[in-house]
Amino acid sequence: MPAPIDHAAAARTDYDVLVVGSGVSGAIIARSLAERGLQVLIVEAGPGEELSVAEYETHLTRFYGAAAKDNNSAYEVNPNAPMPRSPDVRRLQAGHPDSTSYLIQNGPYEMDSTYTRVLGGTTMHWEGKALRMLPEDFQMRTRFGQGRDWPIAYDDLELYYQQAERELGVSADVADQTFYGITFPPDYVFPMHSLPQSYLDTIIARDLDGTVVQLEETERTILVRPTAQSRNSIPNPAYDGGKGYVPVGAVSTHQVDQGDRCQGNINCVPLCPVQAKYSARKTLSFGVRTGRVDILTQTVASQVHVGADGQVSHVDYQAYGSTTSPEHVTGSLRATTYVLAANPVENARLLLASGLPSSSGLVGRNLMDHAYLLTWGLLPEVAGTMRGSQCTSGIEDLRSGDFRTRHAAMRVSIHNDGWSWPTGSPYTDLIELVDDANAYGTALRRRVADRISRQLMLSFMIDLPPEPSNRITVDGRYVDALGNLRPVLSYSLPDYTMDAVAVSRRVSRQLFQRLGVEDRTHYDPLDPGFVSHQGDGYVIRGGNHWSGTHIMGTASHDSVVDSHQRSWDHQNLYLVGSGSMPSIGTSNTTLTLAALSFRTADHIVSELTTRPSVTIEG
Amino acid sequence: MNDELHEAFLDLSSTLTGYSRFRLLGTGQADPYLSTTREAVGEEVLAELLNTYTDVHRDAGDDEKALDTGLRARILSDRLLGPVARNVIKMWFVGTWYELPQEWRDVQATRGHDSTHVVSPASYTEALLWPTIGANPPGAKAQGFGSWAAPPTIDAP
Repeated sequence: MPAPIDHAAAARTDYDVLVVGSGVSGAIIARSLAERGLQVLIVEAGPGEELSVAEYETHLTRFYGAAAKDNNSAYEVNPNAPMPRSPDVRRLQAGHPDSTSYLIQNGPYEMDSTYTRVLGGTTMHWEGKALRMLPEDFQMRTRFGQGRDWPIAYDDLELYYQQAERELGVSADVADQTFYGITFPPDYVFPMHSLPQSYLDTIIARDLDGTVVQLEETERTILVRPTAQSRNSIPNPAYDGGKGYVPVGAVSTHQVDQGDRCQGNINCVPLCPVQAKYSARKTLSFGVRTGRVDILTQTVASQVHVGADGQVSHVDYQAYGSTTSPEHVTGSLRATTYVLAANPVENARLLLASGLPSSSGLVGRNLMDHAYLLTWGLLPEVAGTMRGSQCTSGIEDLRSGDFRTRHAAMRVSIHNDGWSWPTGSPYTDLIELVDDANAYGTALRRRVADRISRQLMLSFMIDLPPEPSNRITVDGRYVDALGNLRPVLSYSLPDYTMDAVAVSRRVSRQLFQRLGVEDRTHYDPLDPGFVSHQGDGYVIRGGNHWSGTHIMGTASHDSVVDSHQRSWDHQNLYLVGSGSMPSIGTSNTTLTLAALSFRTADHIVSELTTRPSVTIEG
Repeated sequence: MNDELHEAFLDLSSTLTGYSRFRLLGTGQADPYLSTTREAVGEEVLAELLNTYTDVHRDAGDDEKALDTGLRARILSDRLLGPVARNVIKMWFVGTWYELPQEWRDVQATRGHDSTHVVSPASYTEALLWPTIGANPPGAKAQGFGSWAAPPTIDAP
């Protein structure tokens, strides 16, 4: 690992590309450009001194010692580059925004989604589902009269999906993943074989496979399938025309015996302890090894400046020495091309704080995230819940069909971690058994095993189309410790999505009836995310799949970026990540935004290589 | 560490958790948990809890039913000792000291270190709940690639 660069040296260097954000999009673009000879500087607002195992394990120890083990509990509280944390979310009173935590909730609905501001970004805490979008997801307006079409199609991304699956180390088998229009080249295999399905999955599949579910006029037969995951499994020797694939283990400067296979730590979120799960640190480490990627951490991009020619001229930064003090120094960084890869909320926040709402006025608007409905109950037999990775199987059959003209599509995950998401199990179960059931000793042991090992939890991940009123804004009243404007969120769910929430509840009841599951689902009106719809109440959770805030389209008047994620207004500025996506369908967004990043990297290289001053190697 | 207190705490813990003294000692957490309890409730309450347990245990002899009755009558339903005993159970199972009920705090006017906290990173990974359900604490002691495909191994007490 080369010696870290300092800010003064960085300010003197003529970089080809400045990347804001060290998460998956920024890391992929940086690595991809550096491998083709370009000089790249990455600035990361959060902490992270080195790409070492020791640093990684400070996150793990923090997680072990945290009383509340939420999805950002492994990462230090940092007022200089704060991040949303789900325990901060409170039930809103109508008309009263909640500004008590970093993300200001303007309502009417609460949103408990988060992201992570550390070296490696939110891939540090992501779960690792690596799903391609369905071809029909790219044509929501044309096919279903809902939302927006993409300016590109599945076939335009297919090759980039393959690159993303290599980079993210996806474990899956083509036969399991070929459904509802998803296609692969004839000889394609994933880098690694599918992760084994959990014992719980096999119990569910045994009783559910073949169940027929009716969605409007669409009839679907349920099949429990293994889920494609960015998590190391057994390499497929047929990969890459028989060259095979070597799993990427723990990131380190020396040999570490970690991360070659998933061990079943059931802790993908908030942190895989052995780095068997992909994080952007893996891509960053390859990028740094080219010698052409510099990284500055604890460096907050505070302002994007545009010159008279409409091009970005420079980016101001604030560099702080300690997360416990707001003391910082400021300066400016320059490059030929600028890439904002700070995630959809932070990208929009930075642009709006810089007075750059785009000529379309759409920066920050069309915010999307998956709406999650969780249902849970007790299986009639011990299923060994709380083992494996967090999810190893799901149901893909509710994702596609003509019903999407009427209500949103949904994808079901079977959770190996039981009720932990909706109820805080197993802690809450233990407390109830001890404090209320008055159990102790061997009887307590039996009851703990009986209560937890039979748990089943299904999550319904429901599509949300882009709505201009769902948005991130900024407001001069709200600033963070360094004086940067904080994001203000306005969020609600349209009937199109809420109707699918009701359908999901109905489908869940049917599945539980088929399984003989004792339904323990309960939605508390006092919980954040509680929403009434047609007389029934639900708690809707966020999916951390922020998207749409710099939406992609075919023209500058109704979109922010073109199909290469280049800003319509500023030709040397790219806004990358799921913020560019015009729809999110029923796929977790990371694999698609990774594919888009490879496509954008190709475009940046082709643009910059027309400049005579740049030499491209290899 | 006072040996007598230590022994009494282990005996009480074994009865409350359903795990043997040997198994409890193997976690390395007996001393930290005894200290945590002392810091939260004070020396006097701790001594009363352990002395009461010693009396209950002596009075019951080998009669398990009498031990259960005595434990419920003199500790678990006791306004002072019950909440502390329940906290000791929870601490062994998940490594967390939970803040005592408001009523207890009001009566005792406690000034100890009673806020909810994980005793230490090791107390999390050594918690007994996970082996009780045939699993591992999330983020530690994984059972190995593919282990999740088999039925769980749960030792019935």
